[in-house]
Amino acid sequence: MHEMGIAGSILEAVGKELARYPGYRAAKICVRVGELAGVDSESLRFCFDAIVKDSPLAPLELGIERLDGDELDLGSLELEEMTA
Amino acid sequence: MIEVPIERKVLSENQRVAEELRASLKSSGTLSLNFIGSPGAGKTAFLERTLQSLKPGTRAAVLTGDLQTENDAQRLARYGYPVRQITTVGACHLDARMVEKHLEGWDAAALDLLFIENVGNLVCPTSYDLGEDAKIVVLSVCEGEDKPLKYPGIFRKAELMILNKIDLLPYVPFKPELAREYARRVHPEIEIIETSSITGFGFGHWLEWLAARAVRKHSAVKETEHAFA
Repeated sequence: MHEMGIAGSILEAVGKELARYPGYRAAKICVRVGELAGVDSESLRFCFDAIVKDSPLAPLELGIERLDGDELDLGSLELEEMTA
Repeated sequence: MIEVPIERKVLSENQRVAEELRASLKSSGTLSLNFIGSPGAGKTAFLERTLQSLKPGTRAAVLTGDLQTENDAQRLARYGYPVRQITTVGACHLDARMVEKHLEGWDAAALDLLFIENVGNLVCPTSYDLGEDAKIVVLSVCEGEDKPLKYPGIFRKAELMILNKIDLLPYVPFKPELAREYARRVHPEIEIIETSSITGFGFGHWLEWLAARAVRKHSAVKETEHAFA
């Protein structure tokens, strides 16, 4: 139910991180979602896709790794060098 | 292509605000409790009875969250303690920033107890730290005994389970021992208190729990003050 807020927080974190790498664009962000995090992966993906496509970060892929605990963590961010 | 490790919580911004709140409430010795339960579990009535039962002179305040209306704040304000409604306008949970914003103008340092009634929901509020000392899950006997198995996240994170509306047991096919077993299956150390906000059953036990926690929080401040004296 709160996946839209979670998706927004992910985008915000990507934007912040990306600002530290001029000349690059974000290609893929990986998150780890625990079974007990109270977050539904499919719903998160749906919300993420819905908001990313109208954001300056598009196209950005979301990778979700499922775990057993209550993790809701950002993993790695893949950056691509922009061609002029 | 380069890969950059971010390695922090998705809700790290919420966490940051929550830690600030926690630090501020720690220095004032204010015990902060986050009540989470389904809509209709009896959270508001439970808090009403609690406010009514507090020793005169207790410095308590309540923040109560709902999607719409000021109804709960109006109910809770009848007991003479400061109460504020947090209207989330659709959001299914409270976050630390909403709590921070609604504490503005209150002298938190002058509070012994801060009760936060979350939006009725067993899922989303679980993910958001509000800087509280403990989460308390409220389950009523009108629900299924297997709620702890269906929503393990909150039962795992809650320190205390209030098994509420216990006065209705003669009329509902609810088995309290089963609910206790399920709760302990997901969280073996969880404390459980059976209560009725109508008859007052169990409130002696609950108020003892509350007083013990408040004293512990308060004396921690005193010790710190001594350490720096």
